[in-house]
Amino acid sequence: MADLYPIRVTVNGELHQCSVSPRTHLVDFVRDTLGLKGSHLGCEHGVCGACTVELNGRTVRGCLTLAVQADGGTVNTIEGLSRAGVIRDLQDAFVQRNALQCGFCTSGMLMAAKELVEQRPDANRAEVREWISGNYCRCTGYHAIVDAICDVLQQRKAATSRTEASA
Amino acid sequence: MKAAAFDYVKPRSIDQVISLLQEHGDDARLLAGGQSLLASLNMRLSEPRLLVDLGGLDALRGIGVHGGMLRIGALTTHTEIEGSALVAQHAPLLSAAAPHIAHRAIRNAGTWGGSIAHADAAAEWPTCLLALGGTVVARGPKGERRIAADDFFRGLYATALEPEEVLVAGELPLATPGNWFAFDELARRRGDYAIVGMALAGRRHAGVLADTRIVLMGVDSTPLRARKTEALLNGKVADEALAATAAASLRAEIDPLPDLTNSPETKRHLAGVLLQRLLNGARA
Amino acid sequence: MELSGDIWIVATGPKVWEGLNDAEILVRSIPGCESMEVISPTERAARVMVKVGPVRARFTGHVRMEDIRPGEGCTLHFEGSGGPAGMAKGHSAVDLTDEDGGTRLNYTVQASVGGKLGQVGGRMIDAAAKQMAEQFFTAFNAAVGEVAPATEAGPAAEAPSGPPAPALAAEAIAVPLPAPAAAVPAPRVVRPPAPPAPAPVGEGVRVLWFALGALSTGFGVWIASLLSR
Repeated sequence: MADLYPIRVTVNGELHQCSVSPRTHLVDFVRDTLGLKGSHLGCEHGVCGACTVELNGRTVRGCLTLAVQADGGTVNTIEGLSRAGVIRDLQDAFVQRNALQCGFCTSGMLMAAKELVEQRPDANRAEVREWISGNYCRCTGYHAIVDAICDVLQQRKAATSRTEASA
Repeated sequence: MKAAAFDYVKPRSIDQVISLLQEHGDDARLLAGGQSLLASLNMRLSEPRLLVDLGGLDALRGIGVHGGMLRIGALTTHTEIEGSALVAQHAPLLSAAAPHIAHRAIRNAGTWGGSIAHADAAAEWPTCLLALGGTVVARGPKGERRIAADDFFRGLYATALEPEEVLVAGELPLATPGNWFAFDELARRRGDYAIVGMALAGRRHAGVLADTRIVLMGVDSTPLRARKTEALLNGKVADEALAATAAASLRAEIDPLPDLTNSPETKRHLAGVLLQRLLNGARA
Repeated sequence: MELSGDIWIVATGPKVWEGLNDAEILVRSIPGCESMEVISPTERAARVMVKVGPVRARFTGHVRMEDIRPGEGCTLHFEGSGGPAGMAKGHSAVDLTDEDGGTRLNYTVQASVGGKLGQVGGRMIDAAAKQMAEQFFTAFNAAVGEVAPATEAGPAAEAPSGPPAPALAAEAIAVPLPAPAAAVPAPRVVRPPAPPAPAPVGEGVRVLWFALGALSTGFGVWIASLLSR
């Protein structure tokens, strides 16, 4: 039983062809096979959000996704997003607002935050809180994280109006 | 924790899926979004020998209007429903309910068909399907058939699907100007399973209610219609007095099952609270 | 978790006891029961495969009978383990009274559930327990109604209706299930190396209570059906 299954998956812009055991979770695949340790394992049943990664453009729970389901798809982890610079403002805001202490939840938080600022650019504070309620943090008490995300929402809005004004 | 080992196959046609189910029976599990299934595998609460991934069946995707019904393919994700203009127009109850489902990352993967086939009594889609009088479309060795929502939910995680059938779509009647709806759930934290949730749907003309459906989540082993209270509301104008009477009727009608943190009395009380809130809110 | 209920069994007291003597009937009645083993006159061990939704969990349970009042009732103390899924323990009390030509059976169960079962299954425990109890009593009621009075709990040379079992230390019989019970493969019944005395009342009561205890133990694992979304 359980022969290895071949997959082709683009991770952080790089194509990988591997053979995986079907039961391997996507998060374990990126961590153990590809050495990308930025995504973390917390609860392993989908509630804590530490394993959140991007699959085909959307955040998913890496522990509730099989690596074989990513066959033919595109995965972005925190390493890829960071290197690409697309979350730079979020990362800066997190640092400025002291929105991380041990850092365990941070990669998942940034994943969730990135999707929020892209999908809900007009979100208010209450909506931010609701949105990130799927990511648990044991250190910060969440306020600083919400502050950081609200800062970025404001900054991006201001940047958009400036662009529109000068157009 | 990690799931036990299993084989994996990703069929290219629904007929292939059906013959795999015929061949493997209870040793095989269907994988749609996997947000419930994979969690149970991770906990080793289930150790199937074979996972049949439906992800390759594009025919099971998509939202469209066909034959006077809104047809939502089984593999449509919760996020797709949440953001769909067609759903907002033709079945706005779903648009109201979608944001309550777990959290965004789960909604990005979990599916309409998976949720209905799993038939958790505290899940949003089975409740909404029942509230709208929708229909399940199933395909099996004998072909395709339609099952009315009222006949579909049989018991705890039990549906009318035969062991070799696949849920391929859910259909909903198109909303008309006279239709009204309301949805809310009470949970300790955003995204938790509801302690009690409620979907209301029906018709309203000059304030008079008709064809009302009251469906409760999380109080029984299936989504629960409160038929006596529905009958009480029909033919009447939904003012504050009626809302209060209806809440009392609902509390007398239902016999909620407790869970580890909420007694039957808590659930009974909250069910009445929800009904009153939704009826009073809907007048606005 | 607390559960209580009652059921009217369509058989007179003596017939019920005789049916209770019959391990076949009990194994058929407990949803998913695979085997039952006598450890001592008041202790039993059972294996049950619980199926709820996607969950398939095999658990082993141990039941100890106390306060045995033949013909009236007793208390069962049970604990069960579902492996990595968690465990359950508790007790149940059962009382019997004659009623309307049959027997009224009252039961109460109190159980605590630990491990993953309790954690993720909490909201469904009562629903699962209630459903399992209903299934058990429906099957038991039907099975007892079918039984011809001639059955007795003798060991050794009987004529099982199933195929011969593979060689085992204890006598094992494959019991074909009645059609309505569907979905569950024929369980293997380990017939207790019964004492030669018929002992209908005492043994019957014990087996009934054991069965209820095993049933209650199954609730814990049943909970496992609860998962994230």
